[in-house]
Amino acid sequence: MTTLHVIAHSPSSDDRFDSCLRLLGAKDAVLLCGEAVNGLRPGSETALQLHAAQLQGRLFALQEDLHARAISQDYAKALDYPGFVELSLRYDKVNSWL
Amino acid sequence: MAKSMLIISRQGPWGGPAAREALDIALAGGAFDLELGMLFLDDGVLQLAIDQQPMHLEQKNLSANLQALPMFGVDQLFVSRSSLTRRGLGEQALALAVEVLDDDELSALLERFDHVVTL
Amino acid sequence: MKFAIAVFSPAHAPSSRRALRFAEAVLEGGHDITRLFFYQDGVHSASANIVAPQDEIDVAAQWRAFIQDHRLDAVVCIAAALRRGVLNQEEAQRYQRPAANLPAPWELSGLGQLHEAAQLADRLICFGGD
Repeated sequence: MTTLHVIAHSPSSDDRFDSCLRLLGAKDAVLLCGEAVNGLRPGSETALQLHAAQLQGRLFALQEDLHARAISQDYAKALDYPGFVELSLRYDKVNSWL
Repeated sequence: MAKSMLIISRQGPWGGPAAREALDIALAGGAFDLELGMLFLDDGVLQLAIDQQPMHLEQKNLSANLQALPMFGVDQLFVSRSSLTRRGLGEQALALAVEVLDDDELSALLERFDHVVTL
Repeated sequence: MKFAIAVFSPAHAPSSRRALRFAEAVLEGGHDITRLFFYQDGVHSASANIVAPQDEIDVAAQWRAFIQDHRLDAVVCIAAALRRGVLNQEEAQRYQRPAANLPAPWELSGLGQLHEAAQLADRLICFGGD
């Protein structure tokens, strides 16, 4: 069973990012929303960490959060809410790192 | 067929109600005979330290709630070895009988359940 | 498909608005919501006493309207609510508190409702944090 992991916390605020990456299955995906999209700022430590984790095709971000923060990146696929709903059905379950 | 749920508890016991509220979800599900698992991860492992005396903080001891887990049929209990080690907790001295898992076993654990709730 | 949506954050948290927008997209996509369940600080998303600043959106009011318009089952966990001072009329009377701030369409109930919703749904999605 595959899992879509959702992170909403800033990567620099605590270890949710680290723990998520530790638990991540080979076919799982990650959706970043809220403050978590700061992890996609090019050149940031977390962006480097995410690149190293080789998440091509399974890293997503909420578009409104990227735009609000003026973050320009092409690693995570940006989604709107209908895309978020569709993504949640593409994976067997959703685990939010509350 | 009934769906199973894994609850991942990540908060320490005395920093707020989250630890207790995660246990409440597990106990409520156990009371309905649902298949539940509980994983203590990150600061959640601090709940398992022995000899805690929360009365000094005028807080309720969670050990009764923890001990109630297997009594309510929640007997799939796990803890992250790396979370324990990072926090200076030994595997042999834990307040609850749990299976200790390495990091590479954690994603396999998640795969076994229909739902996951991480608190 | 059926969704159970759990909200763990108060109305002023971005994640509460995010949960609402997700819930709207679920219905717009032709899916069903088996239940909305409010736990931990999510009980504050149900408070009738929220006064949002004039220059901000009123997420609590939007939740209320969404639930009423679509006749959704919206449950607030009673244990989490009592601890945080979110009470309906009955509980305010029971505990002799001066005010009730949880009107219809919200219902106070136990965690069993979260589990039931998870059993009935294809997906359980939780929103919380930031």
